[in-house]
Amino acid sequence: MRQAQDEFADFYRASKDPCLRAVTAVTGDRELAEELLAEAFTRAWTSWRKVRRHAAPRAWVVRTALNLSVSWWRRRRREVPLADHDAAVPAGTGDWVDPALLAALRRLPARQREVLALRIFLDLDTETTAKVIGIAPGTVMAHLSRAVAALRRDTNTTEVIQ
Amino acid sequence: MIEQNDILCHVRESFAGLRMDVPVDDVFARGRLRRRSRRAGLTGLTAATAGAATALTLTLGGPAPARSGNPPPQVRLAAFSVGDGPGDSTTLTLYKGPQYPRLDPSALRQALARHGIAALVTVGTFCRPTTGPKTGLSQVLHSSDLANGAAIVIDGSAMPPGSRLSIGYFPHYVRMALIDSGAGLSCSSTSHQPAVHLITPSGTPIRSRK
Repeated sequence: MRQAQDEFADFYRASKDPCLRAVTAVTGDRELAEELLAEAFTRAWTSWRKVRRHAAPRAWVVRTALNLSVSWWRRRRREVPLADHDAAVPAGTGDWVDPALLAALRRLPARQREVLALRIFLDLDTETTAKVIGIAPGTVMAHLSRAVAALRRDTNTTEVIQ
Repeated sequence: MIEQNDILCHVRESFAGLRMDVPVDDVFARGRLRRRSRRAGLTGLTAATAGAATALTLTLGGPAPARSGNPPPQVRLAAFSVGDGPGDSTTLTLYKGPQYPRLDPSALRQALARHGIAALVTVGTFCRPTTGPKTGLSQVLHSSDLANGAAIVIDGSAMPPGSRLSIGYFPHYVRMALIDSGAGLSCSSTSHQPAVHLITPSGTPIRSRK
């Protein structure tokens, strides 16, 4: 038990930040991402014997968090605007992320965001990304290519990085 | 390909400052509660005091009752009750089950106000000061588990002057923090929407975890 705990702690310390960036990139909300990941990591720990043998345990955690996100929204059927409380602003990602880039990410289709997040933040190759999401490698490439093209258009990133 | 890599690097670098604040011990604690809950076959509400100094998260799923004494009788609504005691404090009880999603944030806020506790109650979103959470929450709140929910004892006298409780009510947990009245607030629900109350109209049981 102690060994498993140490092993999971090492995994957690090494994975929590990349996973947070990946889930934040997909959901667009840092605090929501943290909540979802806290639950996803808890599930990873309670199923650690299985998760540690997964081809990409970090991807397992991110997928679990994103699935929780879907469940979260499915439970909701109605939204009522905040009316009688303090003027409040959504937290988003705070000052951490360039708002223009974040807005450009939000405009991408969810699948493209997910592919992008897995490739960028978890360093998954095309084959593993395809397996994790359950799509063909060629489709991963296509999503990535379209996402990059859209980001280039939306953020003028080319100018920034040249 | 070079341009593609440049874009990917740019995105990676843009998110490099994001760090997850939850310590691994919180994950272990939640895991322990989950296992205990499964063993006990209970579906109660459990307190997980992650980051209790600045914010409190109560998660669903937990062991049997720890609190003694009679439940506060003054106000009894579907999803919560608020009453006097123990001593000079106030007890907020949140009930699990199909009534849990039906919490009326205004009713809870008013009920707490009648006991002298200023609160901002939000459903599906959690508000904290833009300047960072106030410390001292652990002196104000003490939570314990009940078979049918969770009891949160609030010591109003320990609240700093001019402060109030921010209560974020989520499907699986409740988050709390101390905030200064009039302070700028940052409320997290999702960045796709402005800050909203999210209300589940159905009686769907709130607990759906494994």
